[in-house]
Amino acid sequence: MHISEGVLSGPVLAAGLSITIAGTAVGLKKIEYDQMVHVAILSSAFFVASLIHINIGPVSVHLILNGIVGLLLGPAAFPAILTALVLQSLFFQYGGLTALGVNAVIMAVPAVLSYYLFSPLLGRSSRLTFAAGFMAGVFSVGFSSFLLGIALWFTNEEFLKTCIAIISAHVPVMLIEGIITGFCVSFLLKVYPEIIPNKNLWKNR
Amino acid sequence: MKIFSFFMVNCLFIFISPAMAHKVIVFAWAEAGMIHIESSFGSNRPAKNCTLEIKTLDGTMVHQGITDNQGLHSFKIPDFQDSDLIVYLNAGPGHSGRWTIPKTELVGETTPEKIEKKMAEKQSLEKGPSSVRIISGIVIIFGLALVGAWIKKKQSKPDA
Repeated sequence: MHISEGVLSGPVLAAGLSITIAGTAVGLKKIEYDQMVHVAILSSAFFVASLIHINIGPVSVHLILNGIVGLLLGPAAFPAILTALVLQSLFFQYGGLTALGVNAVIMAVPAVLSYYLFSPLLGRSSRLTFAAGFMAGVFSVGFSSFLLGIALWFTNEEFLKTCIAIISAHVPVMLIEGIITGFCVSFLLKVYPEIIPNKNLWKNR
Repeated sequence: MKIFSFFMVNCLFIFISPAMAHKVIVFAWAEAGMIHIESSFGSNRPAKNCTLEIKTLDGTMVHQGITDNQGLHSFKIPDFQDSDLIVYLNAGPGHSGRWTIPKTELVGETTPEKIEKKMAEKQSLEKGPSSVRIISGIVIIFGLALVGAWIKKKQSKPDA
């Protein structure tokens, strides 16, 4: 899902950079002192997740994990994902440095949205918690694919064809990430509920 | 349920294996009057059926082609070009790679030593990320978090 160097047009890169700067500024402001370790752990998880590669029949996919990062960090997911992307680009040559802004938007915006959409469901019941995690995983990858399609559409690609190709290629990742996010969130809520940003959830336990 | 969840999370991570992703590798060299191109996503994952464009430095198209099922493509060196050749690979939405073949390589004589050197270069490109880089990345993330925590703590302190 990392866009390579030289693929996108200047205006798309500039727009991506602007949104990333704004998102990161808001995210940094919202990070609390106690949350910093969680941000580091989840940013590290995101950093190594793209190295994890899964073979499903003839298809070869890799994890993204932006759903769980968003669900557990909220707006702080933006700087966490950006940091991981910078390091992936420098250390693994994944995605172009000039495309960092757009890549961050593609992966961080769905992560933050999934927090607002699905975190209210966390902790209501074990089934709902799993469902929230599953939906966050599916939604984040799906919406990231859609944003990738939009970024390419603005750079002369055919929108519908590109979107269908990208989303259909990511269906296995969506399902796998949905399951992983569902189980991780269910497990974490039981053993370490403090990691869930919804404070009322664990203060009243 | 707690044990089951823990088991499932671990199972999911056990059954997946580390490999490279995202990085589009394109490598080209001249040998015996031909230009050979190899493309992959690393770790023996060939970039199949991807479009190739070979251009001179001033953007003149000299060849177009498609990689085969092994990510390979070969073609005859075009009539003398007084320019380096740039190989552009389009490996699907958002993924592309490029490689420059210097003009000295196009006109010079190919020797087994030169080919061996090229192959060594290719192998180093295809290597996955080293554990040192992975660990360094994680250390940097935690270092930045430490700096962030220090700043947050300073901000939260009331002014003396």
